[in-house]
Amino acid sequence: MRLPINLLCLALSVLPCALAVYADEAYNVDYHHELLGLPQPHTTFFHRPRQHDKATLLYTLSDLGVLGAVNPGTGKVVWRQFLADNDTASPAGFLRPVEGEGAVVSAVQNRVDCWDAMSGREKWGNVFAGQVKDLEVMEHAAADETKDVLALFEDDGKAHLRRLKGANGDVAWAYKDGSEDIPLQVSTNIREVFIVSLHGSWGGYNLKITILDPVTGKKTNEYTLSTKTDIHSPDDVLLVGANSASPIVSWTDKAMKHLKVNILGRSGDIQSLPLKESDGEIVKVMLHAPHLVQSLPHFGVHSQSAVSNRADVYHINLASGKIEKEYELPKLPGPGAISVGCSNANVYFTRLTEDEVILVSTASHGILGRWPVTIDTPHGSLIHGVSEVVQKATDVYAVRSAVVTDTEEWVLVRNGNEAWSRPEGLSGAIAAIWAEIPESKSLAKSLEVEAHSNPFRPERFLSSILPQPTSHTTGSLSKDGFGFSKVVIVATQRGRVYGLDTGNHGSVIWSLQAFNLPAGKKWNVKGIWVDNSRGTATIRGSEGEYVLLQTATGDNVETMPPGSSPPVTSTAIVDGPSGKWLLPIGVDGNPGEVPKDWVPNEILIVQSADGEIRGLKFETKGLDTKLIVAWTFHTGIGQKITSIVSRPTHDPVASIGRVLGDRTVLYKYLNPNIVLVTAVSDISSTASFYLLDSVSGSILYTTTHTGVDTAQPVTSALTENWFAYSLWSDVLSTSASMTAAKGYQILIFELYESAIPNDRGPLGATDNSSSLEPSEVPNAEPALPHVISQTFLIPQAISHMSVTSTRQGITTRQLLCYLPSSNSIVGIPRALLDPRRPVDRDPTTLEQEEGLFRYQPLIEFDPKMSITHAREVYGIKDVITSPALLESTSLVLAYGVDIFGTRVSPSMAFDILGKGFNKLSLVATVVALGVGVAVLAPMVRKKQINGRWMTS
Amino acid sequence: MSSPPPPPPPQWVVDLSSPPAAKPKSTAIPDPPGFSAASTGNRKQVSSSKTTTRAPPTTEAMDTLKLKKAWEVALAPVKQLPMTAFMMYMSGNSLQIFSIMMVLMAFKNPAMGLMGTNQAFEKFESEGLKGKLLMVKAVYVVMNILALALGFWKVNGMGLLPTTRSDWLAWETAREPLEVAIPAF
Repeated sequence: MRLPINLLCLALSVLPCALAVYADEAYNVDYHHELLGLPQPHTTFFHRPRQHDKATLLYTLSDLGVLGAVNPGTGKVVWRQFLADNDTASPAGFLRPVEGEGAVVSAVQNRVDCWDAMSGREKWGNVFAGQVKDLEVMEHAAADETKDVLALFEDDGKAHLRRLKGANGDVAWAYKDGSEDIPLQVSTNIREVFIVSLHGSWGGYNLKITILDPVTGKKTNEYTLSTKTDIHSPDDVLLVGANSASPIVSWTDKAMKHLKVNILGRSGDIQSLPLKESDGEIVKVMLHAPHLVQSLPHFGVHSQSAVSNRADVYHINLASGKIEKEYELPKLPGPGAISVGCSNANVYFTRLTEDEVILVSTASHGILGRWPVTIDTPHGSLIHGVSEVVQKATDVYAVRSAVVTDTEEWVLVRNGNEAWSRPEGLSGAIAAIWAEIPESKSLAKSLEVEAHSNPFRPERFLSSILPQPTSHTTGSLSKDGFGFSKVVIVATQRGRVYGLDTGNHGSVIWSLQAFNLPAGKKWNVKGIWVDNSRGTATIRGSEGEYVLLQTATGDNVETMPPGSSPPVTSTAIVDGPSGKWLLPIGVDGNPGEVPKDWVPNEILIVQSADGEIRGLKFETKGLDTKLIVAWTFHTGIGQKITSIVSRPTHDPVASIGRVLGDRTVLYKYLNPNIVLVTAVSDISSTASFYLLDSVSGSILYTTTHTGVDTAQPVTSALTENWFAYSLWSDVLSTSASMTAAKGYQILIFELYESAIPNDRGPLGATDNSSSLEPSEVPNAEPALPHVISQTFLIPQAISHMSVTSTRQGITTRQLLCYLPSSNSIVGIPRALLDPRRPVDRDPTTLEQEEGLFRYQPLIEFDPKMSITHAREVYGIKDVITSPALLESTSLVLAYGVDIFGTRVSPSMAFDILGKGFNKLSLVATVVALGVGVAVLAPMVRKKQINGRWMTS
Repeated sequence: MSSPPPPPPPQWVVDLSSPPAAKPKSTAIPDPPGFSAASTGNRKQVSSSKTTTRAPPTTEAMDTLKLKKAWEVALAPVKQLPMTAFMMYMSGNSLQIFSIMMVLMAFKNPAMGLMGTNQAFEKFESEGLKGKLLMVKAVYVVMNILALALGFWKVNGMGLLPTTRSDWLAWETAREPLEVAIPAF
């Protein structure tokens, strides 16, 4: 049985490496969820990208910091920009349309950018010190000038307002507040600019409003509103009306009985509006006001209780500054969403509930339009949305609303009908794992299919001949003959879990809200494990919470809320007497008490709180189990461990040696118990890599690089008998033979048992190997591998590396690297990364036979190497691979902001017929031959008989 | 109950089983007029009439002839060796249908020859040649082995002989680790 594998191996090494994604496979074998993240209520709007064109696009800046424009007709992304490059905290971003100019302005963290609304190209960008707090577009009296932008920053605890020129982003004027108040928002009407800040200390704040002259940026006035009893944090301020004829600031009192409103610019004038309770206490109050200067100064107050919601509409009398209640929208059961739509002076409120869309104008209480909601699949309750209202005739209105729902979908409801929905909750994935489709289910399904299709029916025969898409389109979960269909379980930072069907273009088969996390908190998944025999998946979070669910249906089997068990720092899949299970490791690398029946047999490698790596062993004596520290590993002084990688759990090796050109063998160093530890030092700019034997803790190999930029990504991958890592370093020339190199590098290391061919190293031909007692001699040194390494320069940073995995390991592995600067994933073939490539000379005949070619220091990331081809995948955190049933093929899934999946065959698809294979002509040939034989056979037989019998 | 005796065979069966007696070859009686005999029959008749005139050779002359013929047979394999070697050299060491067929022939012919050593010299077997023929047979075997060696040389050149370590790599196994460590990161 081993012979064919090895022959195949030999044959494969002859094959050229597959570099390209074939044109007929692109967009067919791969799938991509082009996601934005959850749209935020204050950064989502409809906007005309072209001034004279009525068509609008839907813009949003999501919770993940992705700025995007979506076609409201189709739900497809028109363009995206990823603004939050580093994942430090959830970026509070701001996005404003520049009305009438075809541009949108965004502000995230410390930068302000202006984007072309149609193409998504950057018009200008500017970076300032501090953290952005608010952004506003200034309306001009003159219409022909480009509109300027106001950006409020908090720098060193002080408010810093800048007016940026709309044409190029330069600072027109800057105002720096001297006091230590917390800047909150900026607002403007055409005459004045207001800075709203919180004055005071923890426990209670007063609102301070500073009024500036818009032309010079000089302070003209300032006043304080006494709000100490009501406002305790910036979140308590409900709304600071933005660009409107009469901007307001509002908040509620503690009991949520009254809404307090101040019209900006009118000092000391706090108007109190009563909030009417309906069905119990009000839990949430939202204000909806128009954003256009020319709109009427109306606003709506939307109050939600646990079971129902209602709203009041108010008018502001511009002359007297009085706020008068105009009418109210009656109570409706359930939570609803109200969105505001403006067209010129008119302001419309769209009220969406789960079964009705109601359109009203703020001017009068008459209902302008009412549509029953027809939605294909239930999305749960509606949370918030934006609307666009078009008046088609005097009494005919059309309204479309983009609503974020409870199930974290973004749904467009056009006149009550669902036009599209985007699974935005799938974005921000933090953990994912492959799961097999459970046998019972798939067997039942395939039997069902079998029962319905008669094998003698012509279409079934034809379907096996004619080229067909390999993915099934029935929508049900079923296995396929090649093993391309699997379930991927994805956990997102918002506490949701999704099941994707890779056989059906990664479509969402189920989703589940595992935990309800408070706003601003991210779910920290520490371990995810699938038990394919039971068909269940376990996901463990950092706070001791876990969820157990069915992989095929997403049914929640068991949930343990956060805090119910000790915190978890990591997990390991261990094998105990009662089977495999996911062992949580607590703080300081302590697995805690483990029941006797579940005690793992293996050595556990954990990381302690102070960064050292420990090997732990459980010893069972009678009834108690004792934890013994087998070994510890410390890094050098000043270094901290950034990553530890081990060989993948499924890492089969088909051939234990490498055949050289003269047909001798270099034996691979195949130790499953090795880990690669990356340690960096920010102070000395060094990065060290340690290859450890994880049973004995001994160091097998170590390298150190100097001049490393530790802020740049340092990533590594370890598999089979080789490892690779990439970093940015500045290597100075220290000798004549060594040239200086500066830039991103990828290094490859191959481990062999011995430097000499045909030699099995110090262990000789022994069948077993023990890391603890490598040889008969007591206290012998461990068998160190012989390492061959090579360095290559690469043009871009690699932020994540992983390796393809196939069923038997015959296919050569490919290194999959995510390039954040070009938003793509490249598959670097192993032949390119061969450390044995001859340097500074052409390969000899024997080396050529081995498949080696001359060393080139630079590896260009050829677009043909990209497995994402034309697609742009954003914010990839991890790439996971899984073997298919076909040896040639490995399934790949990349997750992060986006979800991207494909199949790769690093040694070409040698065990499956390509799409170009003409099965029809093969069958036609066979049939033609058969017919020919059937016709000719009697003729020939007759001729032969005649030849015997007829003499002349 | 005994079955009735089979009916007498039809006439055509009788004719088939007992064809008319062959015409004696050396007959002086001319064919009757109008009998159209095949032209080959005529020629055979002429040639056979010629051989009759030659005197039969003596046993010794026959043995000498046989030995000569046997030597020819014995040396036949080596005569085509230079040609085969040249063609093998020219066809290269790559795996192609031409070289594969050539190698197959290079193995098949000597092997068949070796197996059929006795049959090859059967017709030269006689009382007086027993000792000498043994010598001839030995030379024949050596020649065939020589041809076989050429085949081996070619196969070796093509890298098909499992003589190196890499050919036995498939039967070597990786070492089984005695301990297992599980990383928890």
